[in-house]
Amino acid sequence: MSYVSVQHLQKSYAGTTVFSDINCEIQKGEFVTLLGPSGCGKSTLLRCIAGLTSVDGGKILLEGVDLVPMSPQKRGIGMVFQSYALFPNMTVEQNVAFGLRMQKVNADDSQKRVTEVLSLVELNDFAARYPHQLSGGQCQRVALARSLVTRPRLLLLDEPLSALDARIRKHLREQIRQIQRELGLTTIFVTHDQEEALTMSDRIFLMNQGKIVQSGDAETLYTAPVDVFAAGFIGNYNLLDPASASKLLQRPISHRIAIRPEAIELSLNGELDAQVRSHSLLGNVIRYRIEARGVELVVDVLNRSAADLHPDGQRLALSIDPTALREVA
Amino acid sequence: MNAMTRGKWLAALCLVPFVLFFIVFEIAPLVWVMINSLQSEEFGWGIANFTKIFKSKFYMQAIQYSLEISFWSSVFGIIISVLGAYSLRRVDSKLRNFVNAFANMTSNFAGVPLAFAFIILLGFNGSFTIMLKQAGIIQDFNLYSKTGVIILYTYFQIPLGVLLLYPAFDALREDWRESAELLGANSWQFWRHIGLPVLTPALLGTFVILLANALGAYATVYALTTGNFNVMPIRIAAMVSGDISLDPNLASALAVVLVALMTLVTIVHQLLLKRSYHVSR
Amino acid sequence: MSRVELGPVGVYHRVVVYLLFAILLLPLAGTLIYSIASNWSATILPSGFTFKWYIQLWSDPRFLHAFGQSLLVCVGALILSVVLILPLLFVVHYHFPKLDALMNILILLPFAVPPVVSSVGLLQLYGSGPFAMVGTPWILIGCYFTIALPFMYRAITNNLQAINLRDLMDAAQLLGASTWQAAFLVVLPNLRKGLMVALLLSFSFLFGEFVFANILVGTRYETLQVYLNNMRNSSGHFTSALVISYFFFVLVLTWAANILNKDKSE
Repeated sequence: MSYVSVQHLQKSYAGTTVFSDINCEIQKGEFVTLLGPSGCGKSTLLRCIAGLTSVDGGKILLEGVDLVPMSPQKRGIGMVFQSYALFPNMTVEQNVAFGLRMQKVNADDSQKRVTEVLSLVELNDFAARYPHQLSGGQCQRVALARSLVTRPRLLLLDEPLSALDARIRKHLREQIRQIQRELGLTTIFVTHDQEEALTMSDRIFLMNQGKIVQSGDAETLYTAPVDVFAAGFIGNYNLLDPASASKLLQRPISHRIAIRPEAIELSLNGELDAQVRSHSLLGNVIRYRIEARGVELVVDVLNRSAADLHPDGQRLALSIDPTALREVA
Repeated sequence: MNAMTRGKWLAALCLVPFVLFFIVFEIAPLVWVMINSLQSEEFGWGIANFTKIFKSKFYMQAIQYSLEISFWSSVFGIIISVLGAYSLRRVDSKLRNFVNAFANMTSNFAGVPLAFAFIILLGFNGSFTIMLKQAGIIQDFNLYSKTGVIILYTYFQIPLGVLLLYPAFDALREDWRESAELLGANSWQFWRHIGLPVLTPALLGTFVILLANALGAYATVYALTTGNFNVMPIRIAAMVSGDISLDPNLASALAVVLVALMTLVTIVHQLLLKRSYHVSR
Repeated sequence: MSRVELGPVGVYHRVVVYLLFAILLLPLAGTLIYSIASNWSATILPSGFTFKWYIQLWSDPRFLHAFGQSLLVCVGALILSVVLILPLLFVVHYHFPKLDALMNILILLPFAVPPVVSSVGLLQLYGSGPFAMVGTPWILIGCYFTIALPFMYRAITNNLQAINLRDLMDAAQLLGASTWQAAFLVVLPNLRKGLMVALLLSFSFLFGEFVFANILVGTRYETLQVYLNNMRNSSGHFTSALVISYFFFVLVLTWAANILNKDKSE
């Protein structure tokens, strides 16, 4: 039996349906990401699991027990918010100890557990500070510590890194994943950033307009998107309609094709029927906009040496690995 | 550069009429009051006026009544305002906007009209008095007593309190509530540990404003009792507007005491604020 | 942030709000009923209804005189305020922005110092001698200006900050306008709504002012509030009609201000 099981969940807000029939299963100790554009329902789903938003129909089973009739206080779920939600009138230590206080844990045990979890997030020296004295990254680590100290059965993270700058985000990503593995904590992570989803998760649920469009591990979602939306959301797929695909591959194609930009090779040998329109340097990758046989393509080339740099207007030969051609709905 | 500095001098000139009027109608009277509180007909310069006030049972009673009425009306006023403002935030927007606008409008009702309205309803022959007497809830209600005045004052504190506290709830973020819930806190625990502490600066600030508002109020109690109730503003006015005892210097001294009390309250408020935590802006 | 609650909690909030509304409504409602009752003494409900009190009121020349005088003083004070405060605001925000902090303290004075206290000084300073103004509408206009000052300063300051005065002026001047032209053609039109709202609200407040009116001029220049107080010994029905008429007038003004306000924030 799955650790978490969402069955036929329905939710409507003020006349509009957010989702009408969501189903998913999560195993114990898994790190799962709900990925999707703004408004796809991922945050709402998370809040339903937490009990912060009511549900119109369906069940949410945690260890076999339906959470829907339970109040948030009793669910044993920890949650980290995008805005940290640290209590401004309490120190870091008091914030973290709050959940233990509500559980009526005695002072000694509480102190021990707080110190333990603060060293997990490397913030022992900040125990006496107030939230307004901390940086964004530090606040988020306190929020994480606060939700972990109560030993929740399930950890929810609602876009916790979106408000932080890039460097801190990368660092925290690793830290969260590491802690999660150490504790073996079942975790659901919500984000709209595909890079985050791909690097952190065991499994990803890709959502769009209230439906789970595709679920699977990072590799599967990246190399085998199931439809146009998935291909457009993850990676930088070249999406070609049948007519363009036929022109490019010079044989009749009857369905849409998605091609990953790194699956197209450029060289100066062979039929030079492609031309560089523009390029941009993305650090270790050069992204070219190419026109080949009347079709526009994006091609990513690893920036290994000067030989890989082609000026605008350069004529090139294209070669595409046939296994990299994906049919999409 | 000359054109610029000339421009600035011209601009400064534009300020002169304003400054003039402000001095004439706001600063000068204040200064006069402060200076003349220390002048007495019999004793010349000195604190004679103040000693007279603090030795007189009559004036001390005025101060005491002022403080009592202001304190109680502000306490009741703020409790009702907090509950009202909080619930106001949680109802649908049509009802909210309507009641908000209505509260704004009724704040204009204060003063003489309010006193008259209360006399109609709660005076000796007021319909409310009769209703409550018939229901056996009260024996004998005197609107013109201290209790009656407190009720009246509480009434006009409410719109002001609601107006001031309504935006204060902006500081209370919804995700604090949600976080607390997930950590196991029920409603009462949330308010006790997080909600009320966070609101405290706003609550204190509003309380101080209500206190100052009540201390300086003149129109309502004057209209209610035709100037026969012993509170500081009435005493001050009586000593300068041709009633029995004309003594502008003594009036000035009492006025200084009134302003000093209001200042004291503000200082205490600032001190209390510093004690409580600080939320960074 | 304010989400609508359903269920028992939602009901509690609704009940509280209705209670609040009822408390605020009661004196007003009582007065209204009294003003249209033919007789209501020592009973819970009045015995009959009539409009005769309103007719009596609106045909009383003393009432109309007082109403007119109130209008005159309030409008006069507001005109004075506009003439003094607009240039002040412009100069402070454009030329001397550091003065804004000082101004914010100064405008606290009319709030911090109750009108009773000011009256003591005003009576002594301007009661006789070269600056005698007591008993005339002029002193009222001056005092009302100080009352309106905080409202108007704050409202228009917020407006000015919202429209980013410096940038507007700079842009206008780069396009060839002189400082005066820029102020009149560019800045002023953008202040119109904020100014209107501030004026309407100040007017409502001033119209209900009693302290200065009673102590400084009293019956020598009878404003509406003083007239109301002086009529206390006439029939309660009459004074109720008076109160309701006054309140209705103020209601229309605040309602107009509300509409303008909402219009502005779109």
